[in-house]
Amino acid sequence: MKFLTSFVANKKFLIYLSLFCMMLFAIYFSVTVFAHTSLRLDEAQSLFQTNRDVPGLLNLVAQDVHVPLYHILLHYWQVLFGNDIFTARMMSLVFFVATIPAVYFLATYIFNRRVGLFAALLITISPFMDWYGSEARMYSMLAFFTVVHQLAFMKLFREGKPVHWVWFTVTAILGIYSHYFFAFVLLAEIVFFILARKEFAVKKAFRKFTISGILVAASIAPWLYYVYKLGTASNTQPSLMEPTSVDLFNTYAQFIFGFQVDSLNTVIVSLWPIVVLLAFFGLQKSRKTTKEALFLVAASVVPVLGAFFISVTLRPFYQSRYLIVALPALVIFIAWIISTYPKKLALALRAILVAGILGLFVVQTLNPATPVKEDYSQAVGYLNNKATSKDVIVLSAPFTIYPTEYYYTGPAKVTTQPIWNRFEQGSVPAFDPAKLDAEVKSNTDSYQTAWLMLSYDQGYNEKIKNYYDNHFERMSQKEFSKNLWVYSYKVRYDPPIAITN
Amino acid sequence: MEFLKTTRVSPLFLILNMVLSVTYFIFIALFFKVGNPFLFALLIIGEVFHLWQVFGYIHSVWPRKRQKDFDPSFKPNVAVYITVCGEPTDIVEETVKAVLKMDYPTYSVYILNDGFVANRDNWKEAEVLADKYGIKCLTRKKPGGAKAGNINHALSKTKEPFVVIFDADHVPKHSFLAKMMGYFTDEKVAFVQSPQYYKNHNENMVTGGAWDQQALFFGAILQGKDSSNTAFMCGTNMILRRKTLLEAGGMSETSIAEDFLTSLLIHEKGGKSIYVGEVLAEGLAPEDFLSYYKQQFRWARGSLEVVFRFNPFFRKSLTLSQRIQYLSSASFYLSGLIVFLNAVMPLIYFYSGLEPLSISTMTLALIFLPYIFIVLYTIQLTSNFSYTFRALSFSLSSFPIHIKAVWQILTGKKSGFVVTSKKKVSGNHGYLVTPHLVYIALAVFGVLVGFLREGFSPSIITNATWVIIYIAIFVPFISAAFEKDKPDKTEEIALAVEGETV
Repeated sequence: MKFLTSFVANKKFLIYLSLFCMMLFAIYFSVTVFAHTSLRLDEAQSLFQTNRDVPGLLNLVAQDVHVPLYHILLHYWQVLFGNDIFTARMMSLVFFVATIPAVYFLATYIFNRRVGLFAALLITISPFMDWYGSEARMYSMLAFFTVVHQLAFMKLFREGKPVHWVWFTVTAILGIYSHYFFAFVLLAEIVFFILARKEFAVKKAFRKFTISGILVAASIAPWLYYVYKLGTASNTQPSLMEPTSVDLFNTYAQFIFGFQVDSLNTVIVSLWPIVVLLAFFGLQKSRKTTKEALFLVAASVVPVLGAFFISVTLRPFYQSRYLIVALPALVIFIAWIISTYPKKLALALRAILVAGILGLFVVQTLNPATPVKEDYSQAVGYLNNKATSKDVIVLSAPFTIYPTEYYYTGPAKVTTQPIWNRFEQGSVPAFDPAKLDAEVKSNTDSYQTAWLMLSYDQGYNEKIKNYYDNHFERMSQKEFSKNLWVYSYKVRYDPPIAITN
Repeated sequence: MEFLKTTRVSPLFLILNMVLSVTYFIFIALFFKVGNPFLFALLIIGEVFHLWQVFGYIHSVWPRKRQKDFDPSFKPNVAVYITVCGEPTDIVEETVKAVLKMDYPTYSVYILNDGFVANRDNWKEAEVLADKYGIKCLTRKKPGGAKAGNINHALSKTKEPFVVIFDADHVPKHSFLAKMMGYFTDEKVAFVQSPQYYKNHNENMVTGGAWDQQALFFGAILQGKDSSNTAFMCGTNMILRRKTLLEAGGMSETSIAEDFLTSLLIHEKGGKSIYVGEVLAEGLAPEDFLSYYKQQFRWARGSLEVVFRFNPFFRKSLTLSQRIQYLSSASFYLSGLIVFLNAVMPLIYFYSGLEPLSISTMTLALIFLPYIFIVLYTIQLTSNFSYTFRALSFSLSSFPIHIKAVWQILTGKKSGFVVTSKKKVSGNHGYLVTPHLVYIALAVFGVLVGFLREGFSPSIITNATWVIIYIAIFVPFISAAFEKDKPDKTEEIALAVEGETV
């Protein structure tokens, strides 16, 4: 009893209690809100890819733009707990919830408990993290491995014990097998190493990092070779637009304030000069910017700028969710910089920030127009009710067949435009305007009504819609979430053939 | 003293700083559609000035090694001047006592009494004080030249080959001479300067703000200038070689920033300067807002006179580094105009919809943020993290003082040398921040006007945010102006006794 009383009175107990409450908050919102949203395109792909044996799974993932660790784990998770979307999402939740104390420990190790707790709170209420913490994709796992890996890196910086090298290397391998973008985490570390190489606690750090790097490269090499051998990567790779400076700032706005409709997002990003004021407030006597704080800057900026730069110069692959690796470092940096302000100002800013995030968390959750929402559940439910065996459902882009077939239980034929057989090896066929007429005829021939479901525009949805509008009579149209439309067209006017004796 | 600790910053980092600054400027100047041409021209002038300031600062703190000879056994005869112009006797006495305790074999102490020519009521007290301590008091009877005239008068009455100058409130440490004189073993060294440290910097918001500004100057900037033989005199806590000073014409009486101009003239004659990065004397910051205002005005006026009348850039006898450094320091006070322009741009947009550039606010952010962050970080790094938001606030908020100084110079209005008060001038000095209060009022109303015109457009939001930033910057300055007098301890005791009696 005495032990229990003194434990409760202990400061550590309060901290762990706070962390526990944060984790409960994350679980509560995920289970009650996010886990019940419609299956999204990417999640459907996850389910499709993981609902087969491991070799088959590897084959599919290798044709995709991803690495296989998440899929393998999800495969066994589904074997153990079931293969519905709610169960799949729970695995992401586990990683998200684990990220909360991980952020606390990283921030506490670098700075102090106060910074650690506030950083953990920011991660907990981050609408971005909550969203991906409940999505059957690898992003929360990627964030978790990033934080654990960065803790190892910081321990190497300050202590450099042999166990930290093992930890660093193993988490790097796990990270790079979680997502290719983990490479940007390593890039940020390289940048930091160049800037602060003389201050690493460990001797011959360059040599040891090189060995570690070789091990990581060697571990991912077989996978890359496998992908190369298959020669069919990008099977379902979406074509992305080249990012602009707006996307860059949207990414940071999304990291902190979540996904908001354009009008609200414009207000948020237009407030960017506020960061200048926050930097001015950071001018405090003897509040030195430690090297660790510089690492956080590198870790939160290098991935985003790196992806932006490559997307602009080489090939567009900029997606804010891929950059989740920058989010933990960013919130820790924010928690730290606020802690350097005078007490009252810091308190006020913490309150404003938390209130702002929570407010926008609610908006993201309740607003049906939130950009990342993909309501395939409602759209396909609508088709379940409306489409008959005499109808055909045509989907574009072709890979939206994954979420559609998850929900579709009706009798109509489901096909894609361009026509794609995903059970054959090879990429999604490119859109060819010359083939449009023939493909539409092939798809709609012998059906009475065509239900055209357009989502995830790859640059040709408008052309397909125009074709249908110009050749058939449109009977209805409905938008279920942003850019997810279902149109119906009367494609045949023949009277039904009456078969009589 | 943290502000004096130097941090060697990599030249590569400083180059990166300059590259980002230039990149920002080039983008602003060349790559966007010009809005209103007049506003654009003003914007470009402002950005050129910012670029010049960044360049000047980087040039100051650029890592260089300077070989300086120091011979601790070099101990010639020295005259110590304590310049007095009606300061309270208790303050002068503290300085006199400390001067007499300096650890040095042969020096004479003189009170340079300007109280008579300045019509101070207490001018005789300096003579009484000198008698009390057995030192000489040189009371001027003929006015002219202000503080410089006072020193020149003393130079004509004394013979020592080296002259130390202390303001009445600057109390030296025992080791002052021992740590400074050894540099004169190099015969080219004309003056040695040590920092002006304000021991009362925790007294109130004004002393705090004044000191925060000084810390950057006496830390990173002067130490940097020292490395390129461009450190200049700062009026007190300095030692001069009589011969070189006289060759330069004595202390210059043509400017109210006599120390600054005299330094320039000495450098022009080939004299060297040394800055000793150690606090060897402690002084007093202005304790009230009015005194601060007057001090800043005197410095601004004096420095700008150098820009307009003795432009260092065209003085061929100076080295290139000296030209850059003198012009950089003197032109700092033009920043008031630029701050005003930048602060007013959002207001112009609110009321007229005119803007200097048509630019995506996000694109602007993309080029501006790296530039401003690296500049701020460079300042923090080089000043050993002694620069503060309050220093920034006081520097930027002083724009009306700087503009007034520019105006007086351009209109040829004369301004006398006003000694900074050593005692707090009580009263309400809120009227001195009227421009800032007007700005806030116009900003609040302007946001409404802008909103009514175009709603929550990105331009309105971003401009409103800039206005918030300026207001946040002005707040510490405004607060200092309205800061109430703290009752001093004697008053508190008197009140307590009164209370007991009642």
